[in-house]
Amino acid sequence: MSLTLKWTAVGAVVAGCVGYLAYQTTGTTAAYYRTVAEVRADPSGEARVLGTVDTDVVRTKGGLEVKFTAIDGAYRMPVVFDGTVPDIFRPGIQVVVEGRMGSDGAFHAASLLAKCPSRFTAASPAPG
Amino acid sequence: MTLALVGSGALLAGLMLTGFSILVSSYAGRVARPDLAAVGRRAFYAAGIAIGLASATLIVALLTHDLAIAFVAEHTDSNTPAGLLVSSFYGGQEGSLLYWVLILSILGSAAVAGAARLHEQAAAYATAILAAVLGFFLLVLAFVANPFDVLQIVPRDGLGLNPILRDGGMLVHPPFLLAGFASFAVPFALAMGSLLAGGGGAAWTQAMRRWALLSWGLQAVGLTLGMWWAYHVLGWGGYWGWDPVENVALLPWLVATAYIHSIQVEEKRQGLRAWNHGLLVLAFLLAIFGTLVVRSGIVQSVHTFAVSAIGPWFFGFLAVAVVGSGIALAARAEYLRSPRPVEVAVSREGAFLLNNLLLLAALAAILWGTVLPLVSGLVRGEQAVVGPSYYDRVAGPCFVVLVALMAIGPLVPWRNAGRSWVRTAVTPVIAGLAVAILAGILGGWRPDVMVAAGVIVAAAVTTVQKLTKGGLGAMRRFGKRRHHYGSYLAHLGLVVVAAGIAGSQLGHVQRQLVARPGQSIAVGGYSLVYQGYTTTLLDHGHVQTTADVALGQETLHPARIAYPDFGGQTDARVAIRSTPLHDLYLVLGPTAPDGSAVLLVVVNPLVTWIWVGAALLIGGVLLANLRLPAKAPAAEAATPRLGAMVRS
Repeated sequence: MSLTLKWTAVGAVVAGCVGYLAYQTTGTTAAYYRTVAEVRADPSGEARVLGTVDTDVVRTKGGLEVKFTAIDGAYRMPVVFDGTVPDIFRPGIQVVVEGRMGSDGAFHAASLLAKCPSRFTAASPAPG
Repeated sequence: MTLALVGSGALLAGLMLTGFSILVSSYAGRVARPDLAAVGRRAFYAAGIAIGLASATLIVALLTHDLAIAFVAEHTDSNTPAGLLVSSFYGGQEGSLLYWVLILSILGSAAVAGAARLHEQAAAYATAILAAVLGFFLLVLAFVANPFDVLQIVPRDGLGLNPILRDGGMLVHPPFLLAGFASFAVPFALAMGSLLAGGGGAAWTQAMRRWALLSWGLQAVGLTLGMWWAYHVLGWGGYWGWDPVENVALLPWLVATAYIHSIQVEEKRQGLRAWNHGLLVLAFLLAIFGTLVVRSGIVQSVHTFAVSAIGPWFFGFLAVAVVGSGIALAARAEYLRSPRPVEVAVSREGAFLLNNLLLLAALAAILWGTVLPLVSGLVRGEQAVVGPSYYDRVAGPCFVVLVALMAIGPLVPWRNAGRSWVRTAVTPVIAGLAVAILAGILGGWRPDVMVAAGVIVAAAVTTVQKLTKGGLGAMRRFGKRRHHYGSYLAHLGLVVVAAGIAGSQLGHVQRQLVARPGQSIAVGGYSLVYQGYTTTLLDHGHVQTTADVALGQETLHPARIAYPDFGGQTDARVAIRSTPLHDLYLVLGPTAPDGSAVLLVVVNPLVTWIWVGAALLIGGVLLANLRLPAKAPAAEAATPRLGAMVRS
């Protein structure tokens, strides 16, 4: 077996293992970016949704849970998140929530990421 | 207004000087004219001076609150302290690009000045390549993202810096990462210079290696400081989130790590020359790709940098760089063909090659996860995204095998290894197996814990064996064996980092709760008592809420500062109690008038090992490689002959 062929074979084995692992894991862990409108139209499945936090933020369970409405254009979606919200969380910022729609009509987020601003623009919520 | 004119003028002057330098330097390389090459270099230095002037102008504008300049008004206000005014230079998009070219012009000038003494023709080509990279960024700065754009109406005050960015850590990690990204252009230009000139000699290879090491070091420091900042300031209990912005900073560093290993095969055995040139090209392309991802918003990230029009420009530049360097590599296949390829799989050079393959596999997996939203968006019309569990499951095994390779690779001799080295592997393998079984008994037979513990201990045993080999007698010849000690000190650092990562990932315990005053909290073996909170009024109407949490005789003070002038945004001040074995990490959440408070309590094992290990790793690599005696070509030729005489 020639040298190049030998090393290509080693490379192919490494690439094959990692490629298979990547393919498998992508299939089982990937979530899809949906807009608020899409999630409202088809509430099934795991989704990642980008929205702007409305002024109706309510903290319940002594502050452990947070409820708010995510706005995207003309569409609105109630969100429930159980966990620590990021420091910059407040009305008007953009958040990415990952989770699924519950039977109660609210989006139950398993994770909530706030978009970290590199520049500060306005303190008021974005107009619809 | 005057400042804006001076700044824009300096950028345009720099742009013209780089254009001139590209033309003169590439012609000088082609016709091999040293006098013209010197002219091209001086034009490059002059462009650097123009960039220095533009940078100084921007800093003066920030410090004097020249609000007519949009960049100043958008990133600072009259309350911003002077230190943060200077840091907002690289805090915003336009300023960060200017910082990029400033660093590249300084490092590039040093590189071309040094390279000219090694190989006149290759240095001329390298100057042209560096001038082209610099010229592209100056073009973007002058016409697309100009930091000296002027506002039509001058505001009364600026918008100020977001509270989360008002931290000392913010002052240090971005400039290191940006400098790291910029610096990858230097080894790339040197590699392209030697390709275009058809070779630069052994001293040139050493110069490439030294510049690649500088990039590696800058990026390593930047990544470590970024992790440190995320952990101590952001208050979510972790230090790495597999966010696209973090990933793209890691990618060129992984390539540089591969290069540090494979270059030894070229220096010792004249092998892998094409591979090494390819790695330097790849590191640069990934650095440009990283800048594109970070600055264009094409991939959703937690870090929203202002999205602007620079995306297509960077995409175009990346395409030109890919095609251009691809052609150069293909055209010089004859020069790149190694006189002695890696012949035996089980040998030190084989181990280095395997290390490279694993690093590139991890890189490919991380790159795939990062660009998946783009690819799936184009192919399926739906943007798919993967979270941290993808990276843990796919890149994680690559890193585990790499640590395992650290236990075996250093024991395998160069060239045809034979079988005799297998004896030396017995101690680390048995130690690793014993610790894996012990970890199984103590930790309830968790396979991930057993594998991590076994592999890390095996690598540690091999590393310590290598460091203590020859005992004190060998250490007296420390100066001569600096490369040996530095390398294994770096391996030791990496083992310590690996232990820290494994400990904090696998042993992490957290609990979030609403605590009432006097309530005791038990988490991961710690017993805490929440005592209540106090509020203090700070300057500018900011309010600090501080909780008192008792741990035995000690009291910890997690706090939170509210900024009413930033729409009521609040910012946690994490309380961390570090011991060598555990970090107790407390975050204060919302508080209620009845004295109760939301507390996040995290116990992270071995996190301090990451910081200590990273310092060892970076220190070790620098010790091994900096201040290598600069060999003049004559001395270079003399060394092998001397060696041959001794052997005969």
